[in-house]
Amino acid sequence: MKNKYIFLIKVFFITIFFYFQTLNLIYSTEPDEILNNIEHEERARKISMNVRCLVCQNQSIDDSSAPLAKDLRILIRDKISEGYTDKQIYDFLSDRYGDFIFLKPPFKLSTLGLWFLPFIFLLLGIYIIYLHNKRSKKVKY
Amino acid sequence: MTSKSKILIIPFIIFVLVIILFYYLLLIERNPSELPSALINKKIPTFNSESLFKSKIFISTEEFTNETILVNFFSSWCKPCRDEHEFIKKISQNNKIKIIGINYKDDSKKAIKWLNELGNPYTSIAVDKNGKIAIDWGVYGIPETFIVSSKKIIKYRHVGPIDKNITRKINSIISEIEYEK
Repeated sequence: MKNKYIFLIKVFFITIFFYFQTLNLIYSTEPDEILNNIEHEERARKISMNVRCLVCQNQSIDDSSAPLAKDLRILIRDKISEGYTDKQIYDFLSDRYGDFIFLKPPFKLSTLGLWFLPFIFLLLGIYIIYLHNKRSKKVKY
Repeated sequence: MTSKSKILIIPFIIFVLVIILFYYLLLIERNPSELPSALINKKIPTFNSESLFKSKIFISTEEFTNETILVNFFSSWCKPCRDEHEFIKKISQNNKIKIIGINYKDDSKKAIKWLNELGNPYTSIAVDKNGKIAIDWGVYGIPETFIVSSKKIIKYRHVGPIDKNITRKINSIISEIEYEK
């Protein structure tokens, strides 16, 4: 009985492992878009994974099949072939579409709260639990 | 109340404030999928392309003259563009404004037929075959409309079809810009 349990748990984790392996294989880049230069293509895919599809809004352009996502994928590849750096491409996109186009919000003064508030709340929570415990220890039953 | 129980009340106050904030965001009229515009108060992007009716090239630096201009991205395949068309025609009656159309990823023959059928409020129309001009303007879904001041600064942007309310808003922004001049 116990062995069967362990076996099922193993199967579960192996399935999860292969699931995450296949995630990397799922993308919407169409064959005619792919660049011949492997290094350039890898850069393009990396950038595409960070760029939000503005039509679907919760997908990257790397896995969206919306026409605008395709246009942006081609645009990124064109820019890479023209010799743009990654930063220049990101700047090009945010100049036109704002920071919303990045799936990860950039780290700057206006987004500090977004990045740090969770930790502040965590510390606050720990402090409150600490206070609570200290007080309940004093209570004599 | 002891000082410790005073501290314990802080999370409760934060919780109430968050609830009020969420409730407020639910009640006000807004479209959460609408994106902030990066181009407001920036200079318009320049571009050259084909013209839809004229056989000459559309050069944006020549077409964007020193007057208030409404820029409208449209296409004959886009249903909301058809819906907003009568309102654009209404806006075109306002002689303080010039309307430039940008025909987005369309078949030029179909676009011409579409405009002959519905009427043409545009002073001139640029053809954006591959959507590159639209990307420069930060467009993510047509129809989209921009108001450009005589100094070639983008003053307003609307995503989605123009309706009665938006027409009123556009007209008031135009008169505001005219007043500032």
